[in-house]
Amino acid sequence: MRTGVAASLLSCMENGRNAADAARVVARALVHAVVGGVALLAVVTVGSVLGPMVVLDLATPAMAAWWTVFTAVTVQGIPFLLLGTVVSAAIGAFVPERVFRRVLPKNPALAVPVAGAAGAVLPGCECASVPVADSLMRRGVAPAAALAFLLSAPAINPVVLVATSIAFPGDPAMVGARLVSSLATAVAMGWLWVRFGKEEWLPTVRRGGGAASGPGGWRGFRDGLQHDFLHAGGFLVLGAAAAATFNILVPRSVLDVFTGSPWLSVLLLAVLAVVLCVCSEADAFVAASLTGFSPTARLAFMVVGPMVDLKLIALQAGTFGRAFAVRFSSVTWVVAVVSSVLVGGWLL
Amino acid sequence: MSPRPRSGPRLRLRLRPQGVLLILCGAALLRIALFSELYLRYVKEGLRPYLVVSGAALIALGLLGLLARTHDEDDEDAHEDDEDAHEESHGRGAGEDDGHDHTRNPRIAWLLTAPALALLLFPPPALGSYSAEREEARVAALGTGTFPELPAGDPLDLTLGVFASRAEWDTGASLKGRTVRLTGFVTRDDGGAWSVARLRVTCCAADAQALKVEIRGEDAPAADTWVTVTGTWHPTGKPGTDAARPVLDAVSVKRTTAPADPYEKR
Repeated sequence: MRTGVAASLLSCMENGRNAADAARVVARALVHAVVGGVALLAVVTVGSVLGPMVVLDLATPAMAAWWTVFTAVTVQGIPFLLLGTVVSAAIGAFVPERVFRRVLPKNPALAVPVAGAAGAVLPGCECASVPVADSLMRRGVAPAAALAFLLSAPAINPVVLVATSIAFPGDPAMVGARLVSSLATAVAMGWLWVRFGKEEWLPTVRRGGGAASGPGGWRGFRDGLQHDFLHAGGFLVLGAAAAATFNILVPRSVLDVFTGSPWLSVLLLAVLAVVLCVCSEADAFVAASLTGFSPTARLAFMVVGPMVDLKLIALQAGTFGRAFAVRFSSVTWVVAVVSSVLVGGWLL
Repeated sequence: MSPRPRSGPRLRLRLRPQGVLLILCGAALLRIALFSELYLRYVKEGLRPYLVVSGAALIALGLLGLLARTHDEDDEDAHEDDEDAHEESHGRGAGEDDGHDHTRNPRIAWLLTAPALALLLFPPPALGSYSAEREEARVAALGTGTFPELPAGDPLDLTLGVFASRAEWDTGASLKGRTVRLTGFVTRDDGGAWSVARLRVTCCAADAQALKVEIRGEDAPAADTWVTVTGTWHPTGKPGTDAARPVLDAVSVKRTTAPADPYEKR
């Protein structure tokens, strides 16, 4: 803060601005410093006085375990999340729009598989892919292609596949099965949109290719990175809280009850993926820890998770409207389960 | 409303919440991964460099976001003068008015303060007997067979994983006649028995699995006490059957301090 004040003063003097302006900057800086300082002091005081009391109240073993699991999932997810948002912000800021349009075929039915495969180059998590798909639609890419990209990008990009191979050491078939069934689901959903999709399910802006938005270059990169990380980080925390609650409330032995029936266990894990909202870059580790389940059920967890979960539905409803999000997510869930059962039966 | 002359870049102090949030997250990561070994309570050892790099990057990004240069905003906002008045009264950035939400702080991001403040002020403890008691102790089903000879040593330090897998699966009874030393925390079992336990973490604490060895012949210390138990293997049944459980006849139980890495490596 002090450097900021000095810099402000310096730039004022350099530019020979009038005294009133300088005074205004100083006054503003002082107000910020005083208000910020008081707020910080208050937080620290309340925290250090009340904190231990509150913590003692909450320090039942279950609550302590909840906090540990909650912070563990968050801490583990943040480096992956940051990597994803750095790359997606760089693409958003430095890759010109016309590149996307030139690469994709004119015919939507042909553009769908190309866009689905192109998802492999965006190493972001699902939170990052929603704004990218939105901007693709704004830039005139056919909705079906943008949606195929939206579904495939978080599931088949290199970061996620590497994380999967680390989570399942010595089991490369799992990585292959994840790649194949996720891509199949994304392409199938794109084609279903070409055949059955209705334009009025999407907001008007996305139909005609509205004006390009957002600055490019370094400023766009910085703003995009800050925004995407904080946005996705908030949802990561939400997912971590849900995962920790589930972890504490349901002992593993209850999950083992469902492992007896292969069909039930596939459906159970597919529902679990929706509820737990684990980021696609970390969900392989969660799947690996569900040791009692069949490989196909764990595959379903990893295929459904990046495409349909509570935070994604919320994000899509915010971006594309609720009517779209509900229809799209429910159909995607069914297609993803079918695809992972077929691929799991074939490869695993 | 008369246009004022404008010259060169101006720096203006504008505290942005996203800058504060990013710095908070970065500081939390550096606190647990760079300035202490607390991160071992939550994630595996190999993640440390990534945590440090992420923490530093978040702080750098946060510092950039803390100071907004109005010069940047002039580029796209031609009538900034008109909005100066608004800004004075509202204290908000011009970036919020351009219809694109990249400069605005997403509300959900405030959730990040919960884990960040928890890590900075009261880092949650490592998982202990509560989690170990809820989990069925399992070592991976290896199948029976003859295990390789144990190394020399009297007493011999063994991890709970090695002891349990040999007790359950080794038809060669390689533990027989050896005095071993195990380290872990105390958990209570049903029916008055007690065990020394460790949790095994593959990636992060969310996937912790329990390892337990039942202790006989000594009284139980309080739950969650870290102890070193010396004793000999107590065979309970034919290897590979349910009857074969890891049990130790204790000669001595000594209190010890919790190790830096509370979890057992796979």
